[in-house]
Amino acid sequence: MTGQEVSTAAAGSPPWNAWLRRAGQAVTFRRIGAVYVLVLISIGFSFWAPDTFPTYATVKQVLDGNAVIALAALALIVPLSTGVFDISSVYTMSLSGVLTAYIVIHTDLPLGVAIAAALGASALVGVVNGIVVVTMRIESLIGTLATGSLIQAFITLVTKDQSLNSARLVGTFAKLAGGDIGGFNYPVFYALGVALVLWLVLEHAVVGRRLYATGFNKDAARLAGIHTARLQFASLVVSATLAGAAGIVLASSIGAGSPTAGSPYLLSSFAAVFLGATQFKEGRFNAWGTLLAVTVLGVGTTGLGLAGAAPWTGSMFTGVVLITALAVTGVQRRSGVAARRWRLVGRRATASADPPRDGPRDRGEGAALDIELDLRSDDLLNERA
Amino acid sequence: MVEAAALTRTPLASQAEAILRVRGLSKTFGGTRALQRLDLDIDVAEIHALIGHNGSGKSTFIKTLAGYVHPDPGGEIWVDGESLASVGGHRQHDLLRFVHQDLGLVHQLSATDNIALRGSFLRRRTGRVDWRKQEALTRSMLATFDVHLDVRRPLGEATPVERTIVAIAGALQGWDVSHGLLVLDEPTAVLPPGEVDRLLEIVRRLRSRGISVLYVSHRLEEVLDLADRVTVLRNGEKVTTCDVAGLTKADLVALMLGPDAPSQTGFTSPRAASWEPGLEARNVSGRYLREAEIAIGRGEIVGVAGLPGSGREEIPYLLAGALPGGTGSIRVGGSGTWSDLRRARHPDIAFVPGDRGTEGVIKEMSIGENLSLSILDELSSFGLLSRRTERRAVDRWLSELTVTRTDSSARIDDLSGGNQQKVLIGRSLARRPSVLLLSEPTAGVDVGARAAIYDLIARRAADGTSVLVSSSDIADLLAVCHRVVVLRDGRPVGELAGSRLSEHALVRAMEGVHESEAAYEGAPQ
Repeated sequence: MTGQEVSTAAAGSPPWNAWLRRAGQAVTFRRIGAVYVLVLISIGFSFWAPDTFPTYATVKQVLDGNAVIALAALALIVPLSTGVFDISSVYTMSLSGVLTAYIVIHTDLPLGVAIAAALGASALVGVVNGIVVVTMRIESLIGTLATGSLIQAFITLVTKDQSLNSARLVGTFAKLAGGDIGGFNYPVFYALGVALVLWLVLEHAVVGRRLYATGFNKDAARLAGIHTARLQFASLVVSATLAGAAGIVLASSIGAGSPTAGSPYLLSSFAAVFLGATQFKEGRFNAWGTLLAVTVLGVGTTGLGLAGAAPWTGSMFTGVVLITALAVTGVQRRSGVAARRWRLVGRRATASADPPRDGPRDRGEGAALDIELDLRSDDLLNERA
Repeated sequence: MVEAAALTRTPLASQAEAILRVRGLSKTFGGTRALQRLDLDIDVAEIHALIGHNGSGKSTFIKTLAGYVHPDPGGEIWVDGESLASVGGHRQHDLLRFVHQDLGLVHQLSATDNIALRGSFLRRRTGRVDWRKQEALTRSMLATFDVHLDVRRPLGEATPVERTIVAIAGALQGWDVSHGLLVLDEPTAVLPPGEVDRLLEIVRRLRSRGISVLYVSHRLEEVLDLADRVTVLRNGEKVTTCDVAGLTKADLVALMLGPDAPSQTGFTSPRAASWEPGLEARNVSGRYLREAEIAIGRGEIVGVAGLPGSGREEIPYLLAGALPGGTGSIRVGGSGTWSDLRRARHPDIAFVPGDRGTEGVIKEMSIGENLSLSILDELSSFGLLSRRTERRAVDRWLSELTVTRTDSSARIDDLSGGNQQKVLIGRSLARRPSVLLLSEPTAGVDVGARAAIYDLIARRAADGTSVLVSSSDIADLLAVCHRVVVLRDGRPVGELAGSRLSEHALVRAMEGVHESEAAYEGAPQ
């Protein structure tokens, strides 16, 4: 019977109907609100600062200026998908930047070796994070905050809090971030490339599905046979390595191995990745949403700067957008849950006495019967436990 | 015996003595009457037991007393001669105190905190909490119950029975005179067998202080041991209220269940001609279970029955390797090596957990994503998921599971409980396991979906899968099992099959009624 329903549904309505409906859902404000916001603020700034804002230079400034934030934010996607915070990643950025700069300045090793060494060290940080968070079961927010402090301590100890500067950092090393394709600096393309890979992994690979399942409901995922601990451990190694890469790019773009280069990115990268999670895939941390979020926040702050607004307005913009985005999507999600609960109530309340009715019910019916569900389910619990 | 019971409580004199009087109390939900014109009296210094099976109305009654549920108009409740209904808004009466089954304690906090949180903190004139007095007060409160624990340490470190007593002490605080009714809802459900006696002693002591106790329990031996009178509910109606003296467990079971329906075993699926081992487990121990042996044949459906705390809830979790403290070893398919339960789950074993909301469904994901979670490897090549293969597999499963909603991209919590459960069973079955472990397979599932789930289980068994069903709902066990193992206090005490498998026989075995007609085959005592 159910099989028939499928086939009649498939035969009865033309395929483009379903496609149109899906497309319609895909462009709702709830799904891609940030795109609408982006368009609106772009128009707004074009009127506010007509001479400076609507120019190619602005586009370049936004993209080039935010590529490192994008890389830092993308690094956070994987652990957050599994329900794990990685606060230490920005310190890992500093570490790998300093390390690369040090090798470039003080040795004659080729740049590739320096990069490999920095990425290796970053991955090692990820392993330490994994041990702390997964093996030792320390709350990830606190555990990675602690390892972050340790990394910073190590960097300060080794560098004596001095930035590593040298003419040797100007050559090929500077090219890493300074080179351009069609006017846009390499880091923009790095970010696109990383996003592409993350998108493939999270959306189209088996492991992505498992990462999300782990993050949403670890117990259920584990009982379904997913190695949740292993995934969380690996996700911390991945984020540290990606953060290491971001750190190399950052060091190249500022032309120095600064011991505190990464830390300013802490808030902006988390802001972007959480804002990104409200886009496209409602509630899932995802690569394209994160890039969109970085762009919106970048356009906002850049536009405010060009329009001559006071310096504090940039941070305020980030805060307002973040709260608004989470509130709008969060509230809708919560009311969604409530609505579903009503529907379930309607069904379950009649369930034991009446013939099964599993089709969608309207809410009014459920509303009248909510007490019954409460009681029944409690009854069940009481009688059972 | 009768005299002894009469001696221990104050004379059953006038009705004015009743601490609780209930007359004509009804509660209707939708079309169902959860409680029908209940009359009940509880005397001063009486332990009054309330028993009844699932859906008998006991919980409704307790909730009505507690004020969580508003009764239908017409019924009346008097506490110590004062009408509850006349107290506007139906506030809880001060002479009524409750200890609910979950105790409502915060394990991270100390006994002092827990007790003070329910009453009030003693403050100095400056407003600061006077911890010294507070702790002394807590100590003296607990000392009346012979409990001497460090009142500053987190309650989580105390034993279960000590926690229960802390909850009782907390509930009773503020009663200057020893007069009132304490409602104990399943206080022994989660206590280890050895600690139950200590609690019963406390309850007796309360009675000797003049406090009345309404004692709700599944365990009939406690009722017989402890109570002065018992009220039996069945399907929302009072069957009887009678003195406990002279009653046997078999009497109580008969009162609770009503006339024995000769064969409620609707299950006629043929057993395999010859018994071949499917799942074997030995020395399985957990929190309640003690070194149990389990053998399930290929194509056999074995049920597990038992009261709360009997180890029944644990079994599927232990066998699935999902309980950290569990030990034992397991073998699938009758040959090969035994594997340790503490190691990762055996790949041929699928498990459907009992708490659908927190352990089963991933509510942020779609129906299809929930279903395909266990078979992602089969649906992919080189680690990349083929959406089309996935959708096809999911659609095939949804129709096999008779899930009514066919849009597999909808979120799973758009489905009813029954359909969610079907999806979860499908998730387990999709891996084509040779062993299927089910915990509470029909909790919160409507009648139609129940039948579908039974059918699904039976069909799998017919294909040779070994199935274990652990359920608190006897209907499940009667409907689908070839045989049912009954657990008591962590040990198997009997096994029922065929014509001997009936609701009465199961409840008798669970309650430990030993009679000639309830002699079990191969019961290792």
